[in-house]
Amino acid sequence: MKSKIKLLPMVVFLLFIYVLAVLFIALPKKDYSSSEKRYLAKFPKTNFETITNGKFEKEYEDFVADHFPFRNTWIGINAYSNLLVGNNGNDGIYNCSDGYLINEPVSNDNRAEVNASVLADFAKSVKLPMTVMIAPSTGYIMDNVLPMNHRPYIDDKLYEQIVSTLGDSAQFVDIRAKFKSEAKNGTQLYYKTDHHWTTPGAYTAYTSLCDALGLTAADKSSFKVEKHSGFYGTTYSGSGFWFTPADSIELWKSDTDKHISLTITEGDKSEKYSSMYFKKHLKEDDKYPVFVDGNHAVETIVNRESDGERVLVLKDSFCHSIAPFLAENFRKITMVDMRYYKNSISEMVKKGNYDRVLVIYGIDNFATDTDLAWLS
Amino acid sequence: MVFSNPVFMFQYLALTLLVYYIVPRKGRNLFLFFINLLFYGWGEPVMVLLMLLSIAINYAGGYFVDKAKRSGGRHAAPGGKSRARIPLIITIIVDIGILAFFKYIGLIISTINLIPGVDLPMIEVSLPIGISFYTFQTMSYVIDVYRDDAPVSLNPINFGTYVALFPQLIAGPIVRYKDVAYQIDHRVETLDQFNKGVKLFVVGLGKKILIANQMGAMWEAMRATGEANGVLGSWFGIMGYAMQIYFDFSGYSDMACGLGNMLGFEFLKNFDYPYISSTVTEFWRRWHISLSTWFREYVYIPLGGNRCKIPRQIFNLMVVWFCTGLWHGASYNFILWGLYYGIILIIEKFLLKNLLAKLPAVIRHIYTIFIFLIGWVIFFFEDMGEMGAFLASLFNFSDGIVGTQALTIIMRYIVIFAIAVAACTPLGATIYNKFKDKGFMWLPETAYCAGVLTVAVAAMVQQSYNPFLYFRF
Repeated sequence: MKSKIKLLPMVVFLLFIYVLAVLFIALPKKDYSSSEKRYLAKFPKTNFETITNGKFEKEYEDFVADHFPFRNTWIGINAYSNLLVGNNGNDGIYNCSDGYLINEPVSNDNRAEVNASVLADFAKSVKLPMTVMIAPSTGYIMDNVLPMNHRPYIDDKLYEQIVSTLGDSAQFVDIRAKFKSEAKNGTQLYYKTDHHWTTPGAYTAYTSLCDALGLTAADKSSFKVEKHSGFYGTTYSGSGFWFTPADSIELWKSDTDKHISLTITEGDKSEKYSSMYFKKHLKEDDKYPVFVDGNHAVETIVNRESDGERVLVLKDSFCHSIAPFLAENFRKITMVDMRYYKNSISEMVKKGNYDRVLVIYGIDNFATDTDLAWLS
Repeated sequence: MVFSNPVFMFQYLALTLLVYYIVPRKGRNLFLFFINLLFYGWGEPVMVLLMLLSIAINYAGGYFVDKAKRSGGRHAAPGGKSRARIPLIITIIVDIGILAFFKYIGLIISTINLIPGVDLPMIEVSLPIGISFYTFQTMSYVIDVYRDDAPVSLNPINFGTYVALFPQLIAGPIVRYKDVAYQIDHRVETLDQFNKGVKLFVVGLGKKILIANQMGAMWEAMRATGEANGVLGSWFGIMGYAMQIYFDFSGYSDMACGLGNMLGFEFLKNFDYPYISSTVTEFWRRWHISLSTWFREYVYIPLGGNRCKIPRQIFNLMVVWFCTGLWHGASYNFILWGLYYGIILIIEKFLLKNLLAKLPAVIRHIYTIFIFLIGWVIFFFEDMGEMGAFLASLFNFSDGIVGTQALTIIMRYIVIFAIAVAACTPLGATIYNKFKDKGFMWLPETAYCAGVLTVAVAAMVQQSYNPFLYFRF
């Protein structure tokens, strides 16, 4: 008996590899990973060519990795075991106090200046007034919840670079101070499990924008707040800290939503909707796409009751939750996501009869985006 | 295929072990032969042809060397050995030729093109994995047969199994034929050996995934912040790289030896706590032992070794270290790295030997650590400009002691770094050996295996960051 028990490591090892090997074969393969928001790899094409050029092998490895048994459990084990050895987070996301999961700061080596100069050139070429608003990063505003050991957030430096590069080619709306003071007052401006600003955060940004443009922002009291719990966003699914509590997401509704039409255009196809809210996404873990149905190449909101300006908005997903507020003050809002839109913007400007260009980005995206360059 | 990939662990290895132990003993080498080729050809099946060619050439080389030696009687006739030289030299030239073509053709052409007026077109060849390792193995075979150090292998399947044996195929250790010749034909697998192999494999897996990859991430993070790291930051960065390369490579060797054990083989140890060395000479007795042994036996000693006058000895050493450097990669910095060690070892051998012995141990260790860290800087940077800049940052106090970014990186990895430092010493092994025969040891051993496997598989599933450093050699 004593000599047999010595072999236990071997037994554990063999059980480990054979149980997982059998489970891999036996378990049904999912098509889609909701926590990663992507379709999982399919079993690769098998023929002489794909095998000899190595394509089959590469794709087969992806296939196995994508369908590894209990994949998310392993990701969680990895995340929490990282914390045990003094790591402050997992996979580029800090595990912060008060349930915040916050993206690490962007690297010093980034594209903020390049992108700002693309914008400046664009503003000059289209001869329309341009207003730029960049959302500060969660870590920069919520620095009190960050883990003791974290890399510095360089938002101040990036803002300075962007403002000086834009020069007088565009108006810049600096919301840092307002965000800091609102955060201090206890308003939750950012989600804890997602990288976006919350609806109160978007509203705060909206009021600043209105101030800068000389518009009257719709009053807080004019909205009916609808709260939905159980929101697990991008930093939740990216980090693997599965025990983090859920956020809730707020929809601030006014009568404006009844007077609008929303057209979503992808390539040659357009579809028209009568609300800016897509409730089907409230059933999912990531509820942020409830606003204007999430990422699309082009979305146009028309407010029939408004006599405000027509704006072209170059944006990332931070714009989605501020869009319903913008609809209060603008007649036509065309939102273009440069990550998905690959046609000429200047053509669009010529046809669209716009009064102004707005640029709304989160700073992390603005500093890393490589698609804004398509503008030039 | 790499060991820390789910396809390897949960499919290839699972299948290999299962079939290997079902097949009767007589058929096991044949099975291993084919499964080795599957391992080797995974991702680049065409390279299987090169592998088969290499096996055929060296099999034939060994056969003709043996035949020439024996001509005229069972025991070598006078002149047999000199006749055997012809097939020996042909085989070696072909082996080195194949290696030179696939690994060094780019370097050779770009070097020739340095001559004014010469402009040869570049030839693009992809480096077959493990070619440096298995070429050295096959050469050792033919030379050993020639020297009567190993028997000729008449069974091509058995010989092929040796050359392409998957555990050590792509990153060593470089197993000499004479060390495994008997095992190839006569090994008997036992449960105890399998169990030992599992433990060794898990140790290696832990070294690779839990330490090397983390230390590599630390070094990468440091490199991204650059000069702002400060002097201490730069030193931490290169120490991270030193940890990465040691735990990556020795982890891989452990996994290889462990897998060998699971299949009934015993390979020789490849690393023996190199970072605790108190001289550079000692460092090279403990680092990548199979490679140093190879160069000593097949290059240094045939050149005359140290049984000749001092200038000739120095020449011999420089030849060996030039080759050692070049073996590590087709880039000038590797040659520089080899020559750097050649010069230091010559200085140690002829000048510093007595002085070093008199110094306090602490000083000797600091000296050795300093030398190998600078060595890793040369090893890492293929670009001479970047190398110079990094070397300067190690001594340039005007960049400050440690930058804020660097400090956060250090703090983030400090626990793993401390574990890594402890794991560079025989401390763990000493404690383990004290208790290893005790009846209760199955408990910590099993817990360790289960723990490391769990965390390593978790990291494996997470990590796309999974390149083996030694893959390009």
